[in-house]
Amino acid sequence: MNMDQLVRDTLIEQGAQPQTPPPDLAGRVLAVRRRRRTRRISGVAVAAVLAVAAAVAVPVLDRGGDEPRLASGMNRSDIIAHPDQSPPRDLIAAGDTALAAYYVMDMVRKTDDRAVAVRDYHLLDQRTGKYVRTTDWSVVDVAPGMRTAAVLERELPARRIGLLDLLSGKVEHWIPVDRGVAGVAFSPDGDKLVATTYDENPDLRLRADYDNDGDGRKNDWMPQFGGSSRTGFYVLDVDTGDGSWARVAGGDQEHLNARQDFAFSGDGGLVYSGLTTAPHQRYYDFEGKEADTPAKERHLHWFVDARLSPDGSLAAGEFAGGSRATASEILDPLTGKRLHKVPGQQLLAWADDDRLVAWDIEPGANEFHNRLVLVTIGSDKVVPLSGFRKGNDGAGGRWTPLFARR
Amino acid sequence: MDAQGQEQFREFVENRTSALLRTAVLLSGGDRHAAEDLLQNALIKAAGKWQRIDEPEAYVRQILYRQQVSRWRLKWRRRELTVADPPEGSGGSDPSAAAELRIVMRGALARLTARQRTVLVLRYFEDLPEADVARILGCSVGTVRSTTHRSLARLRVLAPELAATAPADAERTPSRDFAPVEVRP
Repeated sequence: MNMDQLVRDTLIEQGAQPQTPPPDLAGRVLAVRRRRRTRRISGVAVAAVLAVAAAVAVPVLDRGGDEPRLASGMNRSDIIAHPDQSPPRDLIAAGDTALAAYYVMDMVRKTDDRAVAVRDYHLLDQRTGKYVRTTDWSVVDVAPGMRTAAVLERELPARRIGLLDLLSGKVEHWIPVDRGVAGVAFSPDGDKLVATTYDENPDLRLRADYDNDGDGRKNDWMPQFGGSSRTGFYVLDVDTGDGSWARVAGGDQEHLNARQDFAFSGDGGLVYSGLTTAPHQRYYDFEGKEADTPAKERHLHWFVDARLSPDGSLAAGEFAGGSRATASEILDPLTGKRLHKVPGQQLLAWADDDRLVAWDIEPGANEFHNRLVLVTIGSDKVVPLSGFRKGNDGAGGRWTPLFARR
Repeated sequence: MDAQGQEQFREFVENRTSALLRTAVLLSGGDRHAAEDLLQNALIKAAGKWQRIDEPEAYVRQILYRQQVSRWRLKWRRRELTVADPPEGSGGSDPSAAAELRIVMRGALARLTARQRTVLVLRYFEDLPEADVARILGCSVGTVRSTTHRSLARLRVLAPELAATAPADAERTPSRDFAPVEVRP
């Protein structure tokens, strides 16, 4: 055999090996083009906004230049999926959103009739791009850009809020607070934090005197319904720690879950919290005075995490499937009218203006056997992003995702 | 691209990705991740001109090849690949020995430069005459000939096990044309 033939045979043999196509390559390519086009059109305006944002939000936004690169910035693929991983081990992302962390709940018994529901977080290590378990924190929220997380220590309510650098793994600084906080959430631009204050640990559980899960044993831990100890919230500047506390007057106490944290409205100008009864959400200004619900948020549900699309033109709605197939609805935010139906059991985060990350099941499977998927408005295509979760709701080891803009 | 164009593009990608990816894997010396990058970039470029392209597959393949030999690609970090251990013996008509030789050859191909490998893929896998390879890569026939010659010589250096293999035709007729390739995909 001569070299010609050997090279030819080798290439033909190698070229005959089947190659599984990457999931939704066309969608990925079109999304990249769309993003590049948008960037070209709005390049100048975006540059101006970024310059201002970088000046005020130093720990949150990438300082650029000689900064070490973040793992989430090194891999800018449109879809980073690990359908074989549950819980995830390596960075998962789609479009502009990424799985910044997830937590697994555990019940820690304190006395015979009291226990605390504790979250063991797995945070993205920005040096390695892997999720790393930590038992240091009770509550975590990750800022847009995924450089900084706001963290609360294990004992709640906490007297300080940490700003954790996800690259170094160290708390860069602490914001002390006079009133105990047990919830934290960043504003959409990452400049502010809303910290919910409670008199007692909202994750406290009491032994139920009835068999809640029907397993024949009275061994269930339940939150204390109708007994909210929530008192109000702080709105704090992330850089300086400056801010003020606002009391949220009672009246709604019996319509709150034991943990009912505040979060920012879509434009960051108000805060809101869910209610267990109609109207299901209530908005407040930063002084704690009740405010009108923003027009585009009237049809949102506090328990549908995805909320408004990045351009504000669509609202993520509730489950709209039937007994055979899962689906969720996409609404006109102003009228509440259903505009689209997409696959997916529960909408978690917008990847861009026409794609969302959702929980979904395999057709016909148990409703709790679900995985993260990417769904697209106007398409039946479902791109798996993670492996399936195991166990029923509340079972040990089930993980809950936390998304952030990448 | 309008909605109809997008639909056609999606259909094309769905139907042709496997075949295109196989070529991209060859061009990338077996590195699947690099192959996906290469194909995705080629498709992004094709999507930009989608409605003006007459033969999408030929167009995407041309971008694949040209991207691979462009100067930008050559400056890009070179990936170190793990190469299978060379076998003890080689050659002969023994089928298992021939299979071992192909493994050695695959490892050696992976260690060529992207430009060298691309020329060999076009000449021996796509089976194109030198003139067509030159047209696709935007270089002279002499450059194709000299690159082929040097690539085969390099394979012998990278894999001494191939010493017993008879020289290829291209090795017998060295070319003096060593002009650098400069193409703009």
